[in-house]
Amino acid sequence: MNLLGRLKPKSREGSLAIILLVAIGGTGLINNRFLTGDGTRDLLASTSVVALLAIGIAPIVIMRHIDLSIASTVGLSAWFVADMSAKNPDFTWVQCFIVGPIIGVLVGILNGLLVAGLRLPSLVVTLGTLYIVRGLVYVISNSVDYNAQEMPTSLIDDLGQKVFFGLLPLTFSLVVIIMIIMALYMKYTQAGRDCYAIGSNPPAAELVGLKVFRRTFLAFVFSGFMAGLAGVFYLMRFAQVDSTAFYGQELAVVAAVVIGGVTIFGGSGTVVGAVIGALLVQTIQGGLAALGVDAFWKSAINGLLLIIAIYADRVLAVRSEKQLLGQRIKERN
Amino acid sequence: MVATKGELLLQMSGVQKRFGGAVALQGANLSIRAGEIHALLGENGAGKSTMLKVLAGVHVNDGGTIKLGGKDFRTGSPQDSIEQGIAVIYQEPSLFLDLTLAENVFIGRQPKKGRIIDWKFAQNEAKRLFKELGVDLDPKRQARGLSIADQQVVEIAKALSMNANIILMDEPTAALSATEVERLMTVMKSLKAANKAVIFVSHRLDEVFAISDFITVMRDGATVSENLVEKTDLQKVIKEMVGRELTEMFPKTENKIGSVVLEVNDLTNPAYFRNISFNVKKGEIVALAGLVGAGRSEVARAIFGVDKYETGSVKINGKALPAGSPVAAMKEKIALVPEDRRQQGLFMVAGVNRNISIESFTNLVDKGLINFKRERELTNTWKEKLSIKFSNQNDPVERLSGGNQQKTVLAKWLATDPDLLIVDEPTRGIDVATKAEVHRLMNQAASEGKAVLMISSELPEVLGMADRIIVMREGRQVAELSRKEATQEKVISAATTGKKGA
Repeated sequence: MNLLGRLKPKSREGSLAIILLVAIGGTGLINNRFLTGDGTRDLLASTSVVALLAIGIAPIVIMRHIDLSIASTVGLSAWFVADMSAKNPDFTWVQCFIVGPIIGVLVGILNGLLVAGLRLPSLVVTLGTLYIVRGLVYVISNSVDYNAQEMPTSLIDDLGQKVFFGLLPLTFSLVVIIMIIMALYMKYTQAGRDCYAIGSNPPAAELVGLKVFRRTFLAFVFSGFMAGLAGVFYLMRFAQVDSTAFYGQELAVVAAVVIGGVTIFGGSGTVVGAVIGALLVQTIQGGLAALGVDAFWKSAINGLLLIIAIYADRVLAVRSEKQLLGQRIKERN
Repeated sequence: MVATKGELLLQMSGVQKRFGGAVALQGANLSIRAGEIHALLGENGAGKSTMLKVLAGVHVNDGGTIKLGGKDFRTGSPQDSIEQGIAVIYQEPSLFLDLTLAENVFIGRQPKKGRIIDWKFAQNEAKRLFKELGVDLDPKRQARGLSIADQQVVEIAKALSMNANIILMDEPTAALSATEVERLMTVMKSLKAANKAVIFVSHRLDEVFAISDFITVMRDGATVSENLVEKTDLQKVIKEMVGRELTEMFPKTENKIGSVVLEVNDLTNPAYFRNISFNVKKGEIVALAGLVGAGRSEVARAIFGVDKYETGSVKINGKALPAGSPVAAMKEKIALVPEDRRQQGLFMVAGVNRNISIESFTNLVDKGLINFKRERELTNTWKEKLSIKFSNQNDPVERLSGGNQQKTVLAKWLATDPDLLIVDEPTRGIDVATKAEVHRLMNQAASEGKAVLMISSELPEVLGMADRIIVMREGRQVAELSRKEATQEKVISAATTGKKGA
């Protein structure tokens, strides 16, 4: 076997990791700062929120559903936590980490009941809750915004600024821990495998007696939980919040997940891939900034990346189809 | 729990089921014993599938009793049925294509150490089951790309792994080739030897008589006969299914054979077929016979221009037909009734009228707009000609029975008045009475001077309908038989060995 063959990664995640390293290296060549501790720390810290959300919606996308309400939920959770901290000076990070996720879970329960219970299409349901939740933020915030001084220092300064070994922010270490737990959960538990089965063939999942309602419902609750948690992460990162916080970012998360190899048609992909997808998007954004590319190009580049990812999927599918065909021809002759 | 042979496992009596106003089951009975292969027969709409779905836990019966091993049968969810030892293998295998075979076998019941799935054990166990079934499949392989026959093997392995006593199969042989059918029958026999009960639905009556011990016939939602196979015969079963005697299954008419309409010359697409040459004349029905996977549908698709071919030529009425263009084929008055009517033949959610008129739009258009009055007339004309049953023209075709759907596809193409009608498995999954009608329509088309090219995996149909039979095997044309010289043995021999047999 030649060297190249041996280097060829077996999994989608492996190829993505290589692309990510190439992107980081490339950006580093252009701007040395990118490769220093500061650069890495920045990259990881700025990816945390999106990566957390990507882990949250990966099971949903694997189940052939979608959750568009996450960005609004981040906004609601972040504003609410900031508001409560501002009004209760003895609030510490502990309360923040309780309140945020609870708000997310409530939104998740609403989504779950509508999608799993009433069997409404998740695309429409979560588009609805996207507007409802954001509307709620506008109403209750009443144009009030909060800054670092109104938030618990234990959250913003102690935890938000905490970095291990000079380059691994606390937030991102939490992301990695959650990612590992979820990856194992998706691979080695019945509930995890059920998600893949449900996304792969929904009617068959009913026929073999899988608990489709329960799994679907809980996936939305989990996604809500992660969005609520991401709201707290948002505060730790930006230390300020207003009613438009994280507005319109849901599609960036969907893009990261799809770029990370979770197929939008359900049935395949991993949370590890989703996190790598989030990192890749962020790296390329950082790289463009390092190149001095106008920020206006950011979204255009994101879109291009998404289409490339889908195209790569298609190429892989066609290739395996051709392989099957080649096998047939060989068997014939 | 292993039952003793002949022990009564399940008894359904007087079972009723209604869907809204429609009665699906009214007094259906079924008795299943351990160690038997039990055929459940009936025309489409007789209630066979509903029976299976009640046992599968998909539907709950409205009336009647179901006893399982002397106790009341719990209905309500597929999970309940699985727990009570009933496994169902549906007509279209319901595998999860993204998952591995081992996962498919153990889905919902993965072997675990604590709460963690033991993948090693699952893979070894799946491997063992596949071996037991005589098929060497890799348990770590994805289910995507597996043939229908192998998918069924996975489904059967699943049934075995959950220790099911009763295994229900809905038309398991409909999409299998002859060798695959044989393999399945071997498996069914070994299940029987292990004292399991195998219940299967089939429209292929020769198979039914070849393998089953017991035959239950249903008609209009009720059971009309329950007999040991020795106590009944083909004629009797057909009579019970249709409620009357079918005097002639294949009402073949002798037509005047005219000039050549279709001429295929040395057609080759290396992945599917090589050096195919034949012709079809006016008033003639030519059958492409062979096993499933022999490349027959691919030849038809290449002629119609859906797929491309590498070398060779297709001529229609002496004129060369450009490759790879269905539009050109339709212009030259070729019609193709595809194998899979649901996916390729119909717009399932569109109305019957829209489906019938779709290829005849140019005739319906008046000053650039569709004249709906003409569409109604067209639909009514074909409704009567083909006796298609539907209550409202706008009814989506998905609500029609399989037979009426097939007639709708035929109507669509006959409405274009084609010179060449290609029909691929025209009577698959259609009940006996409708089958005879489809055959009558094909004969009628031929008698009107149309050329008919028929692909069929059912030998009686091939022998009964065709003026000429071309046999294909593994992508090659191996025999051409006239109506006179063709026998069942000769066609089977050519299709399976490539040689013209006795």
